[in-house]
Amino acid sequence: MATLDIRNLDKHYGAFHALRDINVGIESGEFLVLVGPSGCGKSTLLRAIAGLESVSGGQILIGGRDISRIEPFDRGVAMVFQNYALYPHMTVRQNMGFALKVARQPKAVIDAAVQRAAEILRIEAQLDKKPKALSGGQKQRVAIGRAITRSPEVFLFDEPLSNLDAALRSQMRIELGRLHAQLGATMVYVTHDQTEAMTMASRIVVLRDGEVEQIGSPLELYNRPARRFVAGFLGSPRMNFIQARVRSSTGRIVSLDAPHLDTGAGNAPSLDITLAPDAAVPAPGAPVVVGIRPEAFADGAGVGWQLNGTVAVVESLGRDTLLYIDTGPLRAFDSESLEGYFAVHRTRQMDARHGDAVSVRIDPRHVYLFDDERAIAWPERADD
Amino acid sequence: MRAAATTSAGGVVAASDQGGQGGQARPASGLGSTLFLLLPAVGLCTVFILLPALLAIVGSFFEIGLGSTDWRFAGLTNYARAMDDPVFWIALRNNLFIVIGSVILQVGFGTVLAAILDRGIPKGGTVFRTIIFAPMVMSTIAVALIWLVILDPNVGALNTLVKSMGLPTPKLGWLGDPSISLGILLLIAMWQYTGFMMVLILAGLQGIPKELYEAATLDGARGLTAFRHITLPGIRNVLIVAVLITTIGGFKVFDLIFATTRGGPANATQVMGTYIYQQAFNLGNLGYANAMSVVLLIIAVILGALQLRVSRRA
Amino acid sequence: MGGPRFRLATLIAYGIVSLWSLLVIIPTLWMVLGAFKTRREFFLDPLGLPSTFGPEAFERALGAGIGTFLLNSAIVTVLSVILIVVVSGMAAYVLARTDSRWMRFVYLLIVAGFAVPVQAVLIPLFQLVSGAGMLNSLFGIVLPYAAYGIPFTIILFYAFFLDFPKELEEAALLDGCRPVKTFFHVVLPLTGPAIASAAIFQAVFIWNEFILALLMLTRPDLKTLTVGILQLGGEFTADWAAIMAGLSIAILPLLLIFVLAQKYFVRSLAGLGK
Repeated sequence: MATLDIRNLDKHYGAFHALRDINVGIESGEFLVLVGPSGCGKSTLLRAIAGLESVSGGQILIGGRDISRIEPFDRGVAMVFQNYALYPHMTVRQNMGFALKVARQPKAVIDAAVQRAAEILRIEAQLDKKPKALSGGQKQRVAIGRAITRSPEVFLFDEPLSNLDAALRSQMRIELGRLHAQLGATMVYVTHDQTEAMTMASRIVVLRDGEVEQIGSPLELYNRPARRFVAGFLGSPRMNFIQARVRSSTGRIVSLDAPHLDTGAGNAPSLDITLAPDAAVPAPGAPVVVGIRPEAFADGAGVGWQLNGTVAVVESLGRDTLLYIDTGPLRAFDSESLEGYFAVHRTRQMDARHGDAVSVRIDPRHVYLFDDERAIAWPERADD
Repeated sequence: MRAAATTSAGGVVAASDQGGQGGQARPASGLGSTLFLLLPAVGLCTVFILLPALLAIVGSFFEIGLGSTDWRFAGLTNYARAMDDPVFWIALRNNLFIVIGSVILQVGFGTVLAAILDRGIPKGGTVFRTIIFAPMVMSTIAVALIWLVILDPNVGALNTLVKSMGLPTPKLGWLGDPSISLGILLLIAMWQYTGFMMVLILAGLQGIPKELYEAATLDGARGLTAFRHITLPGIRNVLIVAVLITTIGGFKVFDLIFATTRGGPANATQVMGTYIYQQAFNLGNLGYANAMSVVLLIIAVILGALQLRVSRRA
Repeated sequence: MGGPRFRLATLIAYGIVSLWSLLVIIPTLWMVLGAFKTRREFFLDPLGLPSTFGPEAFERALGAGIGTFLLNSAIVTVLSVILIVVVSGMAAYVLARTDSRWMRFVYLLIVAGFAVPVQAVLIPLFQLVSGAGMLNSLFGIVLPYAAYGIPFTIILFYAFFLDFPKELEEAALLDGCRPVKTFFHVVLPLTGPAIASAAIFQAVFIWNEFILALLMLTRPDLKTLTVGILQLGGEFTADWAAIMAGLSIAILPLLLIFVLAQKYFVRSLAGLGK
């Protein structure tokens, strides 16, 4: 297994700047997930590693060897495609052994490698069938098996689970986790699904518009997102954002106002937040964004902002409940719902119905604060 | 920075591009193998299609004698001659007659038959399709000869049939009577080619998803209404292509006439193709024949371009 | 649509297609039956059935050389089709996989070639081939036949290769195949349907081609079937049975293949509308 180093990688499609100065260092045996919205460049980056796309600048090194200018068939990487890309005219056995056959390995070696891969993936019964006789999940296993037999230095996965139905997807996620543990291989995995990213990755790279937003372990990114984009991207339902303004600051504590938060008692309440040690203090009157995760709302009275509203939508998931709250003129900013509802997550079953009055509290200790997309304050401890 | 994603051993095709390929698997490595793969096709087409086309255009401005090196520049004489030649205009008119007649008969009936095979009959579609299409695999010469015999005044089946019904038969014969000979030929062409139109349009009809008809039924539209609002728009492109193919065919017609009337009687069935042949190979007026060929070429190229533009849009 | 009870519309529909089918079958059948009639039967009872089914007319037709004509047509057709498919396949693959101004221009040129009919360039073409000494050679006629079949076939293959899933070729690349190996091991085996469509379309067209064969193959033993039967019609002016026998033999091969493989025929010709 090998390390994978991406240095100052740049790619242009004519005038379109698809990848901008990408720097990622991947340890041997890591499971790195590239995640981001459509068009962020994650697939382009993966294909550049594979050699299926040329690069305009920068380097890609595997195990210290610069492969940026080498043809894909000489790079020693294997890729699992979203559409499986199995050769329709060959059997599963032939599909899996093809690369070794091209490398002119003796038949005994090929057979052994194919058998081993088939056992790992539990598809021995399909070895002599053709792809069209297989189900989606089986085809995906064959595609993975084809990669395994080659014993590549790096495995690349291009949204391999996107074409599977939901139940199969969860199943395959676990399979891939088991596979990674068993093989100890270096894997780079592309997905647009943040659940896959959170559950499978040892580290996540969040990409947007061709740039790296942040790299870190799933919990690091979840608890300490460096940018508002990352904060909103990871976690489902999305973090709730409120547009606020700095009323005043005292030392490293800022007091915030938000419009429409008048409790009717005459004076608008403020939210006092302690900034992170190395964050710059915003000036009074500066616009900021407050973020609160759906699971972090507090009940009952106390310090902080009180949100009063009515239940707009209830999603009862058995184990959890999701409430989407309509708080009248106060709208959530850049939220999941078009109407600007606040998403509240509770780990219990609730008897709530559309139209019920509901009230939740934003505790300043459980809040994220963003100044111009940069995070300047985090919750005191990670909430569950 | 320059695109440089391959070693010198495997060059990238189209090195004139800057910025590298856009998501395409690399084809044959190197300019050499690209040329090798393209050259035979390009070579053959240049020599046997492009070159003769150019020669025809050039040759139309010359008087060409019997010895092929005997070229005398004649400017636009050949074209002027065509303008003044009544037979040229008769031929052109006959072509147009065939074109319009073919479009109406072949595309018209083809559409009717296709519609029937698509949704009009529950069973037997393949059998009918096979039968009706079969004349297309016979050479036009064979078709012409078959009908020549059928239309023969003495031993032909048609005369016997018509007489037995008490109706009169044409005194000069079906193909010998200038007033009806072209029409008869049109009908023979229809016999052969309608199946082709039918299959073409049928493919277009079958491309319309059934769900559209189901949704229409729920909306209360069936039968002819559905035909007008779903079927016709759905096959619009195929119909246009069908009309264009028939039109091009109508201008290219040669075999049928050559095998039956050779342009007679008295130029009643003369068309561009046969007239060019006659001028070139029977009378030796190569320059004149070239000029008329160029006219035909221009018509064909314009129609061909139209056909491809429409096909591309589909 | 109504269950066991037939609707009037369906009956009319059946009626129309049946009528047309009869219109196709009856003349053809009449002609085939005519090969068995005697001269007297022709004159006295044109609509009747032959009394005996002897092979004499066929023997006369074969004696006039139909067998040779058939062989010539077969040779020319097979050679031309092979040449067309191979040459077009190679060119279309490159055109479909390479994205550059030059390639687009080449494709445009080839497509322009499609619009040029043989009739419109007959004279210079004839001068060209006769000057090059290609007349009266079965191999000689294959080249222009191929040239005129290539544009359509490239258009067909080009569309096919554009739709061909690139992931398969990319997977092959990553499996270690150089591009040429990818073409032969992955792309070509899966091109079967397109090859079949192209081959059938060209085969029918070339087999039935008349004017080029008329001009280029004038030697009696080199004539193709299509030219030969016209000559037959002239030779046997009163021997109707022989003419009919000759025509029957002429249309039989393609008709037989058509009936057996009609699915492929229809598919290839329907592709024109796309």
